[in-house]
Amino acid sequence: MNNNKLNYIRFWGVRGSYPAPFGSHLRVGGNTSCVELRVDNHILICDGGTGIIPLGKALMEQQDIKEITIILTHYHLDHISGLPFFIPAFVPGWKINIYGPGNQQEIKQSVFGQMLDPYFPVEAEKWLADIDYLNNDQLEYGPFKIEPFYVHHPGTTYGYRIQVHDKIIIYASDNELSFIEKPLNEDEFEPDELQLIKTMQAEERDKYLNFFDNADVFIHDTQYTPEDYAKKRGWGHSSYIETTNFAMDANVKQLYLFHVDPNYDDTKIEELHHHMVKLIHERQSNMACHIAREGLIIDIDRLK
Amino acid sequence: MTDKMPTIMVVDDSPTAIRLYQYAVEPLAVNLKCFTSPIEALGYLQEHQPELLLLDILMPSMDGLSLLKNLRQLSHLKEVPVIIITSKDFTQDRNIAKQQGAVDFIIKPLGFKEIRNIVAKYIEVKPKQ
Repeated sequence: MNNNKLNYIRFWGVRGSYPAPFGSHLRVGGNTSCVELRVDNHILICDGGTGIIPLGKALMEQQDIKEITIILTHYHLDHISGLPFFIPAFVPGWKINIYGPGNQQEIKQSVFGQMLDPYFPVEAEKWLADIDYLNNDQLEYGPFKIEPFYVHHPGTTYGYRIQVHDKIIIYASDNELSFIEKPLNEDEFEPDELQLIKTMQAEERDKYLNFFDNADVFIHDTQYTPEDYAKKRGWGHSSYIETTNFAMDANVKQLYLFHVDPNYDDTKIEELHHHMVKLIHERQSNMACHIAREGLIIDIDRLK
Repeated sequence: MTDKMPTIMVVDDSPTAIRLYQYAVEPLAVNLKCFTSPIEALGYLQEHQPELLLLDILMPSMDGLSLLKNLRQLSHLKEVPVIIITSKDFTQDRNIAKQQGAVDFIIKPLGFKEIRNIVAKYIEVKPKQ
């Protein structure tokens, strides 16, 4: 089968925080965030975690496409640490567009900072591809319309809403959903204040719900169990239960369990997934829910 | 002759948050200039110098931390007191804001009295007559 004829999403890296190449983790996969969208012979890559390394090797084995666009959510290492090993960047004749938070100079510095002495042996001048840093808030690349949005994660961090072939794909690898709706101590406020504050919180929640509304594919942070989240509140990640409920509230069609804690082995992730499916069943929702596993491919044109 | 009233500028994409600030400072002799768009706010700041800036972080097009970084590039705004008022409760965001000279970092939600207290902490305000 010639994959180039297929318009698809492929998961190359699904772990949060750090690579987990352990025997107990390989059914899900150990590489950090990297998702490829290939449509009409255009390639859009979400994040440059270690998953981009095998993707780079695969790209070198084909001849059809020599230009790609990489959109970075932010510059924490698990999202950029594959880039120094991304082979196409070192090869003349390739064109690589890179976008992320900040202006062009800040994107360049953030990506290349990890390649400076004493962190890395080869500096960025060895990147012989034509590298272009993009500086637009509204991006279009081939069939992709890309809209960044800010999320609840330390520092300036994006999620992305990607429209392609009339399908909506949300990529929000790192997002602490519980910060959208903080519990209120209602006794602290006068009635008129309280009304305004509740309206304000509803606006914040609606802003995200509208953004995610009816997404065909929702790739979202599901890093923790509620027990681990309680210990790591403020680290910028969500519990799988919050993500599942929020996705159902937004009428998402397919939820992908992504950016999972590297401490969780395959069995544990499959248990979390089982619980997510149960939650969806209990709410009588039609949302589908899958584990984002390395190598999993989604046919974009068959999404319903 | 009357004293010139200080101008407080609020940038927050929530219209309800703007109303909250408007009600809160209503008893004070201040000019309140509000923007829901950080891009428009930055345009306004090219030629204006408010006495105090209150910035949200999570906004479309440009977040409050980027807005703060951009406005600090303007020579007339290098020293203007800026307070971040946000639901984004991360230590790293506090550090970034501090590096850019923000004088305070406060987590939402705030009531009317808290808003007035914060304003009074950083600029001299008088009751409206």
